[in-house]
Amino acid sequence: MAELKVYQSTAFTYAGLMVASAVFFAPLVFVVSIALSSDQTVGTGAFSLFPTEFRWENFVRIFQTQQPVGNFVVNSVIISVLSAVGQVFSSALVGYAFARLRAKGKNITFMIMLATMMIPAQITMIPQFILFKELGWINTFLPLIIPNFFGNAYNIFLIRQFVSRLPVEMDEAAMVDGLGYFGIFRRIVLPMMMPVLIAIAIFTLTWTWGDFMGPLIYLNEDTKMPLALGVQLLTSTSQELQTPPWNLVMVGTVFLSLPMIIIYYFGQKYMYEMNISTGSAGVK
Amino acid sequence: MTTLQQKNPAQARPPEPAVNGIPAKPRPSKMRRKEARFFWLFISPWIFGFVVFLLGPMLASVYLSFTDWDSFTDPTWVGFGNYVKLITEDTVFHKALWNTLYFAFFSVPLGMGIALWLAALLNKKMKARKIFRTLVYLPHLVPIVAVALIFQMILAPDAGPLNRILAVFGVDGPAWLFDSEWVKPAIILLSLWQAGGATVLLLAGMKGIPQEFYEAAEIDGASSLRQFWSITFPQLTPIIFFNLIMGIIGAFQVFAQVYILTQGGPDNASQMLVPLLFTEAFRNYHMGYASAISWLLFLMVMALTILAFSTSRKWVFYETEVKN
Repeated sequence: MAELKVYQSTAFTYAGLMVASAVFFAPLVFVVSIALSSDQTVGTGAFSLFPTEFRWENFVRIFQTQQPVGNFVVNSVIISVLSAVGQVFSSALVGYAFARLRAKGKNITFMIMLATMMIPAQITMIPQFILFKELGWINTFLPLIIPNFFGNAYNIFLIRQFVSRLPVEMDEAAMVDGLGYFGIFRRIVLPMMMPVLIAIAIFTLTWTWGDFMGPLIYLNEDTKMPLALGVQLLTSTSQELQTPPWNLVMVGTVFLSLPMIIIYYFGQKYMYEMNISTGSAGVK
Repeated sequence: MTTLQQKNPAQARPPEPAVNGIPAKPRPSKMRRKEARFFWLFISPWIFGFVVFLLGPMLASVYLSFTDWDSFTDPTWVGFGNYVKLITEDTVFHKALWNTLYFAFFSVPLGMGIALWLAALLNKKMKARKIFRTLVYLPHLVPIVAVALIFQMILAPDAGPLNRILAVFGVDGPAWLFDSEWVKPAIILLSLWQAGGATVLLLAGMKGIPQEFYEAAEIDGASSLRQFWSITFPQLTPIIFFNLIMGIIGAFQVFAQVYILTQGGPDNASQMLVPLLFTEAFRNYHMGYASAISWLLFLMVMALTILAFSTSRKWVFYETEVKN
């Protein structure tokens, strides 16, 4: 039988995809082109779509501006890595308990947990701010990192779904051998959880790396800002109506975006699987 | 396996530990009590987080929404005052609400339409499929702050590339972010640039559609457009529905792009609910008023979600309905 129509590609398919890809990709080409252009070009605004100048020194000059860009990068790494570590460990422990251990009141607890996913962050934003202010945590990374050490409904749900599908024979054998619940978790289940834990680490890394509102609420010193918050300071100019240093701003957006693209490239297999399983779990 | 279970009946488990499928034991053994203790121990981090970061703040937020509070002096009880003022008087809030609805109304369906169209094309057998898929997906990986900065440059009125391209075609481009007529379309445009993100899930859904459906349609002589509307689309409706719900929730929470690009301007033409809430809370220190906004936001998202769910029976197609 010939190829089904649904899979047949025509000239229209190629034309459509080429136009769409060009539209989606053009802004990124522009970013690179501007990131590599000289200050004179930025001044005149005569950018070209494809790079004509290659001022690689812009990637160094960004660290010599009035803004502490070096700090921004380090802060971003600290906040997102610690957040990911917290999410992975806390959600793994809780998710394992929901999948494998039996207790009275478990079902209702699980339902409450699922229900919390519907509460928008804006509801709790103000009281949380007051709480962290009382604790003296304003202008520190703590409000951005610490809550991640108490799990998150979405990640716990993901882990529970994943662990429920793992065979229980190993757990049972380990229990006969005298391993306690914590030992089973650490030695048996945790190693088998790796794919879902990597996916959660990636989700948390990408979310924290790009988060803007959290740092905006809690951090007020330039040197403490993560890149997502600090990078927009590069657009500020000494005089009004002066053209921002677009070349350096675009270098900043490259710094902000490139790690996400790299992480996606190496982690897409895990994210893809988890997206599918949650996507279908969400609709069925 | 069986011997193991006979030795230790307390450990016998259903093959798939489902939420509901666990049979109740008449009298919990020592082992079961120990298991339960470990369950509560293991989930204690979540319980702590739930009480301290969610339940407590939620109750506080309800209370605050009925007060006037600047976060420095004691809160003053105002009853429904904040809500009444928001609903009947505050024209900025009305504008923000209208703008948010406008943004959601255009960005969500348009984004889903683009994603669906791209997924249908990417599902075909062709050369360079992987490259196309990557190019379409890449913008989704760019953090929203970077997206805002990139579009600030692209949409610049005079030197901006978009208006330069339009000028080539003899179109005098608008001032986009500085024009109260064009600022909302500009922010919608920015969100559509990331629409390719949804293609991953849609493509996976398309892979799951049984071949026989298309084979049968082929024999009946259905055109490819007809096949799309009669097979592909109905089969994908659960995923489309999922994207719709997530899209509505996301659209109501738009913040960074508005905050960075326009601060709600010009003349509140791009003011939206979350940026307004943020300004009221952390710039004007109207904590009570901002809490009331957050609850109205929640109620509206809930109402729209319920509305979407109530219509879903009419258009969302579930596999089980066919089998039964």
